[in-house]
Amino acid sequence: MQPLRIALAQVAPRLGDLEANVARHHELLDQARVGGADLVVFPELGLTGYQLQDLAAEVAMRLDDPRLSRLAAATAGLSAVVSFVEESGDHRLFIAAALLEDGELRHVHRKLYLPTYGLFDERRFFSPGDVLRAAPSRLGVGVGLAVCEDFWHVSTPQVLALDGAQILINVSSSPGRDLATTSEVGLGTATSWRTLMRTYAQLTTSFVVFCNRVGVDESISFWGGSEVIGPAGAAIFSAPLFDEGLFFADVDLAEVRRERIALPLLRDERPELVSREWRRLIAERAGLARDSTAEEGAEDGLDVAAEPGEGRPIGFRAGPGSPSPGSAPPVSSRAAGPATRRKAGAA
Amino acid sequence: MTRQASPTAGVDGSPMFELPSELAIDTDVARRVIAEFIRGQLRQAGFERAVLGLSGGIDSALVAYLVAEAIGPERLRCVLMPAGSSSPASRADAETVVEALGCASEIVEIGGLVDAFFGAGEMPGASGPEGLAASPLRRGNFAARMRMAVLYDRSVTWGGLVVGTGNKTEALIGYTTLFGDSACAFNPIGDLYKTQVRQVAAAIGVPEVVIRKAPSADLWPGQTDEAEAGFSYPELDRLLFWRIDKRRSVEEVVGLGFDPAFVARVDRMVATSEFKRQVPPIAKLGPRTAGVDYLYPRRRPGSARG
Repeated sequence: MQPLRIALAQVAPRLGDLEANVARHHELLDQARVGGADLVVFPELGLTGYQLQDLAAEVAMRLDDPRLSRLAAATAGLSAVVSFVEESGDHRLFIAAALLEDGELRHVHRKLYLPTYGLFDERRFFSPGDVLRAAPSRLGVGVGLAVCEDFWHVSTPQVLALDGAQILINVSSSPGRDLATTSEVGLGTATSWRTLMRTYAQLTTSFVVFCNRVGVDESISFWGGSEVIGPAGAAIFSAPLFDEGLFFADVDLAEVRRERIALPLLRDERPELVSREWRRLIAERAGLARDSTAEEGAEDGLDVAAEPGEGRPIGFRAGPGSPSPGSAPPVSSRAAGPATRRKAGAA
Repeated sequence: MTRQASPTAGVDGSPMFELPSELAIDTDVARRVIAEFIRGQLRQAGFERAVLGLSGGIDSALVAYLVAEAIGPERLRCVLMPAGSSSPASRADAETVVEALGCASEIVEIGGLVDAFFGAGEMPGASGPEGLAASPLRRGNFAARMRMAVLYDRSVTWGGLVVGTGNKTEALIGYTTLFGDSACAFNPIGDLYKTQVRQVAAAIGVPEVVIRKAPSADLWPGQTDEAEAGFSYPELDRLLFWRIDKRRSVEEVVGLGFDPAFVARVDRMVATSEFKRQVPPIAKLGPRTAGVDYLYPRRRPGSARG
């Protein structure tokens, strides 16, 4: 047994009221300590609220901000993850999550993926982070921090797990939407998130800890539903939707070893293969290499040929020894006229 | 597992309304979200009370129930504002809602305000002799704006925020009066289609007579929304859902079985009413312009009154 008690601080931050939120964090850290927690997780932008817009610059903190230092100082014998607007030395603003342990700020993760679509407008106000690393922890295993949308990109949990994280911590301000009755818990957003977290926990054979806020900023309501998922992909704890509270979950970290021995997915990952293919993709997207799935005749870096026509072979590049797709006859080169082109596999 | 939609059956077992399956929502979650929303809006604005105009129709009745559920009926004031054209049944239904909830209420006759402008009988009003020939539509729009003026006055005397009662269907097709019924401090049901309003109303216990009756702007005796528009709410809601929420093209919704002429007509209603759903544009001149590049949350530290 390697018991670990996790406290999920499913709070409703006050929008833009840094002092009130800092005070609330101190209260909950105390409560979590009294409750015997080893790890306390607060949601994305728990120190500032989410829908900040131009307030972001007004509530931003540098990593040397005394309010952060005092929060760190309150973590003797504890690990805590808190989230805030971080201002860098060159005055960029990031949505940051910090690992505070034993009185120190040990690790900072800057949100990598800033949704700017639908109801989101993050890229307008924030800069995306450029670093994705697992961090060592007093808990005895590596931990990986991620913020909300970071988990809508499959590489995030994968890289963190390969980098040594056995606990993946996602802090979120996820707005609830889609009340269709076809959804498992009456909220489409919650159903999507639950699918993701179970899948990631299983694929990375790691614990996934999800802390989502509650409360209302402007039009949007946050749904809570914080969870702890075990390394076999099953939920160990699910907090209620929409209720504010400090929720405790007990896990056995030894589950990670058992699952990874039984299901050595991480051992079998092929980072060198993935890296090679990604380098190729990057070169193709940059127009530095022929795009293997572009229309014939497309300019490098583009995937559609400008010349109007009936349709062109896709994924076909004529050249010495290259096979043609399907049963389409060979189409020799980009010099060939439209008359010789046809849809892939149509012949 | 799929959760069951709220029952549509009335006391006698017959359905109170038609519910297309794609519009079925989880009414428990809807009520929970809306209650938090109402409490949050009031708290952040520094108010403890709310006021709304109660017509006797389902939209304002539902909002009254939702507000009462969120903050308690003792903090809600319903203002009944019949005009000369309003049917007595509407007023009776509004009074039923007030009695059921036990909230504060009052009746403010709007007819005199409308007559003072347009005139009555052969006596011209402030609008001059031409006003005597004003169409029911002009009079209806004017009445809606008088109701708005009354509500904002009561917002001060009651010390409550004005709660909006417009639904998503009417907002999308523009069946609202600008700065009239659409004016409010916040709107809890503005993202619910009419058929979804009916579901939540059934779940929360709005009187069946209110749920069952044909929706009407009550501008003249016997007027109904559906007769005036020429299509039914379930049909309209389904089309709006597929076109707007699910981003289907005209060709795709026609493929789903919608009549092309109906689709074209509704598309046009949505496009021509875009102005009613947005804050009026300000000519950009200075370095920072509200709504353009001065973007603050409506509610933030220091924004609450008092």
